[in-house]
Amino acid sequence: MSQPVEPVEPVEPVRAAGLGRSSAGSRIAIDRVACTGHGICARILPDDIGLDEWGYPILRRPGGSTVSERDATVAVKLCPARALFRA
Amino acid sequence: MTILDGLAAAGLTGRGGAAFRTAIKVRAAHHNGADLIVNACDGEVGAAKDGWVVAHHLDELVRGAALVTPGRRQTVRYAAHRGSGTEQRLRAAGVDVLGAPARYVSSEETSLISLAHDGLARPMTKRAPFVFGGVDSRGRRIRPTVVLNAETLWRVAQIADHGPEWFRSVGTPDEPGPRLVTITGHVSAPGVVETSAGVSLADLLDSAGGLAPQATSILVGGLGGAFLTAGEARGAVWSGPGLAAYGAYLGPGVIEVIDPSSCPLAVVDRMLSYAAGESAGQCGPCMFGLPAIAADWHELTTRPSHEVLTRLRDRLGVVSGRGACHFPDGVARFAASALRVFGPHLDLHVTGSCSRARRLEHVPAR
Amino acid sequence: MNEILWYSSRATGIASIVLLTAVLALGMVTSGRRRTQGDRATVVMALHRWLSLGMLTFLLAHIATAVAETYVSIDLVSALVPFTSGYATVWVGLGTLACDLLLAIGVTSWFRPRIKEPTWKAVHLLSYAMWPIAVVHGLALGTSGEPVLRGITVLCGAVGLGFAGWRVVTSHQDRDRREAVLAQEWS
Repeated sequence: MSQPVEPVEPVEPVRAAGLGRSSAGSRIAIDRVACTGHGICARILPDDIGLDEWGYPILRRPGGSTVSERDATVAVKLCPARALFRA
Repeated sequence: MTILDGLAAAGLTGRGGAAFRTAIKVRAAHHNGADLIVNACDGEVGAAKDGWVVAHHLDELVRGAALVTPGRRQTVRYAAHRGSGTEQRLRAAGVDVLGAPARYVSSEETSLISLAHDGLARPMTKRAPFVFGGVDSRGRRIRPTVVLNAETLWRVAQIADHGPEWFRSVGTPDEPGPRLVTITGHVSAPGVVETSAGVSLADLLDSAGGLAPQATSILVGGLGGAFLTAGEARGAVWSGPGLAAYGAYLGPGVIEVIDPSSCPLAVVDRMLSYAAGESAGQCGPCMFGLPAIAADWHELTTRPSHEVLTRLRDRLGVVSGRGACHFPDGVARFAASALRVFGPHLDLHVTGSCSRARRLEHVPAR
Repeated sequence: MNEILWYSSRATGIASIVLLTAVLALGMVTSGRRRTQGDRATVVMALHRWLSLGMLTFLLAHIATAVAETYVSIDLVSALVPFTSGYATVWVGLGTLACDLLLAIGVTSWFRPRIKEPTWKAVHLLSYAMWPIAVVHGLALGTSGEPVLRGITVLCGAVGLGFAGWRVVTSHQDRDRREAVLAQEWS
């Protein structure tokens, strides 16, 4: 991906469709198209991610959390749909 | 003065609904040699201004597009719904046309980019703006591409011709420049009018024949917008802050005056049912949430109960911001505003005294 | 010593096919089912990954002992290149083929974050070809004259087929809704 020559604002608020913080400086994001509702992320990061009535993730605290870096790594790795990523 | 300086000085913002600063978008487009897709789809319910620009100002639109794509290898495609008059006009003019299916989300920015890359006209997850290039859901490379509304590009040409001071001579300091509005529904002279931020909504409606005394409500922004009561409309200002008080936005500039002879709950019922069927089926909260919301509304209007109302409110709070695009957010805003404005009317249905309620039973729920 | 190697090869072979069948079954449960509550999805997924590593250990031992023992002629090359062994060329070759497929599946899974998702998925679906090849290899080579081993292998075959049958007919709301909407006009 080419980068702009000078600092450019994000063209629009980037829709990573939900950004949550999962440890000092590391943000978890959800690819909403890839997510098919396995719900594993919500079991591994219960303080950060809940599930709606259809089984899809809700980011509880977009502002911050106290979950460990290791749990975030596990959650990203275990998602069968590869829908969780670090933003 | 370069076009970038001109756009920055003029303070032009996108006229497609998101109102992003055009100078920044065009600067990024230049830096990345981005291809341009002109969005002339009039994707919002009731919209007609994009087609109006194509019909009346096509030369300026083409010049505006050229200013955004100065590089030899940057292509321009004009997007319109297949089978529309706008598409016909564009094809007759000999420009490169991107025919989009007549689906609500197909005219969304990333949908058009996907379509232009031989994909389906459905939104893509956007990890970074596509002006930098990216990948689609199948990992296929997406060239740097920027999407701009047809009216926005017309304004770009006008700013190049007349200068940023001309542009700022109307509107407000925060929302400068002329802007088009489609006024439709229960008015005597529906159509596209040119106005600017800061005018009174009453004056704006007067240019379409005025808000009839028996009018009860208007819808600003279509399916992604919000309702105002007629009383609120008579006192409101057509601007971002002026509309924000009612949960509404300037958006793509669509005002529909609701027919006072129809039951407003039926109007909302039809639109929510339509919305449920227009999900791109890619994100859980949208593909299950919107049909659930439509079903809740239908139940609320035929067999109202506190339980259904609570369930609907909870669901409205849960679908926003959880999809790849803003579609469910808009529908949630629309439905929440309907609850606000038509709450009193709901009481009529509870007591069975809405004279038009019987029609609702025949509206199929999804 | 050679006899120990020979028996170890068959023992680790049986262990491999049992674990492989379990890994496949767990994978099918993950792809075939969704539950909105409970820990089951997480446990299934974790076991799928964890058991596949365990299976690889037994598989490596199985291959190593088969190559090392001198009773039959299977050299290192034929452990990697299918259908090149002196002994039981076809049946050993199937084992090698299954192992090569497994290697591709394993490598793409390890590097999943770095490769395109459709690529990962296409290779992962090769498991449905790899597993029956492994079962046939096991039935042909490791179980003659050993009814217990044969019984275990046949049971693995039946369990795997059962899960595969369930996987073909089952569905869940996410897939159903996606397919239904995809069938509409979008281009």
